[in-house]
Amino acid sequence: MTAESIALETRELGVTPTPHAASQPSAGIGRRLAAIVEASLVWVILLAGWFAAAEYFPLGDNPLIPHPLVTARALWESLPELWTGTLSSFSILIPGFVLATLLGIVSGISVGTSPRLQRALFPFARVAAPVPPTVYIPYAIAVLPTFKLSAIFVVFIGAFWPIFQNAAAGAHALEERYRDNARILGLSGFEYHWRVVFPAALPHIFSGMAVGLGFSFILLTVAELFGANAGLGRFVQYYADFADYPKMVAGILYTGLVTFLAMTGLEAIKRRALFWQR
Amino acid sequence: MSQSLRLEGIDFSYDAQRILAGIDLTIPAGQFVSLLGASGSGKSTLLRLVAGLKAPQRGRLAWNGKPIAGPGLDRGVVFQDYALFPWMSVVDNIAIAIGKARPETGKAERRAEAVDYLRKVGLDAAIDKYPFELSGGMRQRAAIARALALGSPLLLMDEPFGALDPVNRARLQDLLLEIWEAASPKKTIVFVTHDVDEALYLGDRVVILGSTPGRVIADLPVEFPRHRDRRSLFDSSAFHELRESIAETLAADTLKQLVAA
Repeated sequence: MTAESIALETRELGVTPTPHAASQPSAGIGRRLAAIVEASLVWVILLAGWFAAAEYFPLGDNPLIPHPLVTARALWESLPELWTGTLSSFSILIPGFVLATLLGIVSGISVGTSPRLQRALFPFARVAAPVPPTVYIPYAIAVLPTFKLSAIFVVFIGAFWPIFQNAAAGAHALEERYRDNARILGLSGFEYHWRVVFPAALPHIFSGMAVGLGFSFILLTVAELFGANAGLGRFVQYYADFADYPKMVAGILYTGLVTFLAMTGLEAIKRRALFWQR
Repeated sequence: MSQSLRLEGIDFSYDAQRILAGIDLTIPAGQFVSLLGASGSGKSTLLRLVAGLKAPQRGRLAWNGKPIAGPGLDRGVVFQDYALFPWMSVVDNIAIAIGKARPETGKAERRAEAVDYLRKVGLDAAIDKYPFELSGGMRQRAAIARALALGSPLLLMDEPFGALDPVNRARLQDLLLEIWEAASPKKTIVFVTHDVDEALYLGDRVVILGSTPGRVIADLPVEFPRHRDRRSLFDSSAFHELRESIAETLAADTLKQLVAA
């Protein structure tokens, strides 16, 4: 085998392009350290500001801005209660969000691939989707037998529309070459929707799910203000009634952490599911 | 009559723009036809009409005596951008084609056959890989393997090697010829290209489409004996004469467009 053909052989091996590694390991570590410092800057400033505000503007016995250390202790003491609250809130979040995801994907993909269904349903969606689901809360509580059900209903509505609209957009935007390919192979009906349209629309669907998840958290905490006896939103409202600011702020911080973890979890699932994207 | 492709009086317009006008063409079974033309000559459109992805406004298309009414497994297509499903591995892309062509096969059998086709096109190392992990040349090989797996007697190829570098293009041309010559009966191939050398190296016949609207402006047999060797072909005067006359035809068509514009 000549040198030329050997060179050609190696050229034929497909490679996924890898980024060039830093020439020295120290340079890479230095760069990473700098990135961490940059990202932490906002937190450090806020924390410093908080300490300063608590030290220099105490504002009486029960300050509106509690001292960070007082808040930390309140958080520690409330952990059991916050944990129960988390479970309670998730018992509303999960059924509502999962149902919204399933129905949103199925209906979105069906409508997105059918011009007739689009003509029939998009005008309705354009009017119904923007209605803030918060206005349904009192009515849902009055109509549905339990508070949990009404909260789940409101969460469902809030998450359904973004997922439905994004799934429909993703199905509609299916690239022509994949559609042609599917036609030549003779793919149609369920097989076509499941093996071609759904995977192709997944990037859009995940976008819709991220928006829907954010809405779900907002709606469930608001719903809990209305009539729950446990939950994260309920926790903050309860201690507001007692003007217990350390516990309130602790509740806010904890809820922030929970939402962050949920969104990160969804992001991780998305990355795994869309591994085939360039 | 044995399988053949017949086009009669094909007219095709899109948005009031006339793309094809009065195309008449008959391609007998087993012939390798290179379809040449400048960009905008409607050659890709013609291929899509034969594939059944679009319908002409006028005229008749028939394959094997039957009118073409839509896409089908008897007419396989290899697109310029391979159109492999990126969410499936290469072997699954082939297996799904086998499953549609021969639904009675089981999952294991389909995979085994798919692996076979991938070996035939030299993709042993890429069987379970995903399209995003492959180079352009490898993806195009996979697309060819998929078209072969369909078992279509008619292969429609739309500038399949256009996006490849010259070395890979030459390799895939040779691979295509190897596969085509080994089959019995030979498949009918309509190969769209704008590269004159490629058209002459591969085809039994060169059909040249003029532009706007597309019309058949030349139809020449390519009679060099098979198992063609690039070096001796490019050295032969017969090849150069043919090449010159084709280049002239294409240039005249381009000038006509410039004057008309």
